[in-house]
Amino acid sequence: MQLSDEELYRQMRKGNRDAFAQLYERREPGLYRFALHMSGSPAVAEEVSNEVFVQLMGPAARFDETRGSLESFLYGIARNLVRVVRRQPPVAEPVDRAFEANILGELIGNETTAALHRTLRELPERYRDVIILCDLEERSYEDVARLIGRPVGTVRSRLHRGRALLAAKLKRLNAPSEVFSA
Amino acid sequence: MTCREGIVELVECARRAGTGARIHAEPGRELRAHLAVCAHCSERWEAELQLTAQFGVMRASAAVRESPDSRRRALLQEFSHRQARMPIQTSRAWVWTLGTAAALVFAVFVGHEAGRKAARTSASIQTRGARVEPAVLYEADAALSSDASALSSDDFVAVPYTPPLAPGEMVRIVRADLYPETLASMGVRVDPSWVAAWAADLPVEMVVGEDGIPRAVRITENNQF
Repeated sequence: MQLSDEELYRQMRKGNRDAFAQLYERREPGLYRFALHMSGSPAVAEEVSNEVFVQLMGPAARFDETRGSLESFLYGIARNLVRVVRRQPPVAEPVDRAFEANILGELIGNETTAALHRTLRELPERYRDVIILCDLEERSYEDVARLIGRPVGTVRSRLHRGRALLAAKLKRLNAPSEVFSA
Repeated sequence: MTCREGIVELVECARRAGTGARIHAEPGRELRAHLAVCAHCSERWEAELQLTAQFGVMRASAAVRESPDSRRRALLQEFSHRQARMPIQTSRAWVWTLGTAAALVFAVFVGHEAGRKAARTSASIQTRGARVEPAVLYEADAALSSDASALSSDDFVAVPYTPPLAPGEMVRIVRADLYPETLASMGVRVDPSWVAAWAADLPVEMVVGEDGIPRAVRITENNQF
């Protein structure tokens, strides 16, 4: 029988290395993809997904089961870490440029996808989170509602609103005269 | 069907198209009819399908990832390293816990012994006397409660270093026979001549508070006291 995240966490806090490894293997890929879509940078995503687990094993980790699931807690850490990266002061600009040069869309080699990804990253966070989780991670509305701590209806309306913003962007991208201004 | 209703449905249809569920991804008859007559919704339908397709590309590209094994190993190593440091902290915590527990036990023991000693003294005052007559209860007046030495005015001698009586605290007059050394142990000055005069026990009256502690004492058959 598969142990729950919370049970693995409890065992991990008692020093069980296998429990930590299991938790890492179970949650790290999703966290990496989440951070990748949030930041657009594989390097940042690697750092963030790693740092989430460093923080989890640290003494400062204060996960409280009564306040939500461990998965939700981990996504919360990842979201905050990406925020920190995004709010880097101007001195970190060269690093940001490196990230920009390394964005996911450019790796894909598809201009539309690259532009879409940039737009996604510029969306307000409340829309970006649900688009990433619902459409890129293909999680159910219920799952996402649990992860972000909002009602299902809110998740659905945010997703529709976010997609409308992206669709409008795509429409502009498809108009030949506006491609260069995008 | 209104545009608003149509858009809600077409977004869900477009999302399902991305999952490969073609049957459910097809717009219903009503939506198809609406798309046929509404250019705005029709454009949106196309954009939504394109968006879904782009998300598919993004998902596929995110799935391509170099093996994070080195990071995983480093992280697990870090975990083991931290755990190796933990027992020291744990043992220190145990030392502190045990130390605190020992201090508490010692404090309780000392307190208990002090209590027993006080009880012994009190008991000895009452039991070592040859006779102990029924107590008489008095309510401590303000003067008595604030300062036991006030009792000295009526040839009572205040027992030094005793806590003051609380306002309204009842006091008892206890008659007893005490050894001179018992009186001395209560802090009362004992004249050697009394010892000679009374051979062994001295008949005394004590003012005893509700806590059983004598506050004042007088020798009843020796007014030289």
